[in-house]
Amino acid sequence: MTETACLHRWQMTNFRSGYLVTEGCFHCRLRISTFFEEPVPVIDDYREGDHFWSYLGSAQASRFDFRCETCDQEIPFPDMMALMLCLKCNPACGVFQAGEADKEHKTWVYVALCANTSHSPRICVGAEGIRALNEYFNQDLHDSSKKIIVVPCEKRQSVDTCEGLVLADVGLTELY
Amino acid sequence: MNVFELVKKAGLKAFNEFADQEIRGVYISDMVSDIIGIGEGNLLVTLQTHKNLIAAANLVDVSAIVFTRGKTPAEDVIALAAKAGIGLLGFDGDTWTLAKKLCELGIH
Repeated sequence: MTETACLHRWQMTNFRSGYLVTEGCFHCRLRISTFFEEPVPVIDDYREGDHFWSYLGSAQASRFDFRCETCDQEIPFPDMMALMLCLKCNPACGVFQAGEADKEHKTWVYVALCANTSHSPRICVGAEGIRALNEYFNQDLHDSSKKIIVVPCEKRQSVDTCEGLVLADVGLTELY
Repeated sequence: MNVFELVKKAGLKAFNEFADQEIRGVYISDMVSDIIGIGEGNLLVTLQTHKNLIAAANLVDVSAIVFTRGKTPAEDVIALAAKAGIGLLGFDGDTWTLAKKLCELGIH
């Protein structure tokens, strides 16, 4: 079956655990997150061009890719750092509004977080990945009235005021 | 086996009201980042009572959550689980003891 004609049934593959390390630049106040698979998270300060990066924190996280069981299409997620549940804290936020559009289901909006929350390199989790995430997390729900909606984090209005729950384990490596 | 039947047979405590569901498997983990890789319908056994756990459990559509070693979730955790329709259960013994009990009851 061709990839375009396939009603994909996604399988999670290449599931790996690691650290989501958040760094901040004290010069421009930008924040980025990077996923590391090393046993110990990276905590060095360093300079990169005009940026002076400092370690802000880390959490144990995991990443995965998808493969379709029917057509073998693979979708990697190189730009996705973690998933986050929206707690509907701000009606003006694009993530909040994504959940309000569907009135027929009990919707839960999850955000696919990319590495650079400023989106200055204009990179976020791509449309194909977002579509696959929506298909995967809805494909086996036991309750037909429930719906999972996954959106890219560029829809989020503010990183600083967001009250979302990030699906990562914070604090387990604070000794490092 | 369904969750209601398990509650009776294993003597579990229920922290909230929820609709009955079929248990399709069991997963034991105390890490939120680990749970997102499991399939739907699992009974999640854990010591972790943080709200993030409910966010992950809801995403992967667990059948219910059992907290072992007498752990008690906070009110905001119970509220989020109730909104998600996830049953929160408690077991006073340790995780290994619960795992053996689940096997004895035929839940694998």
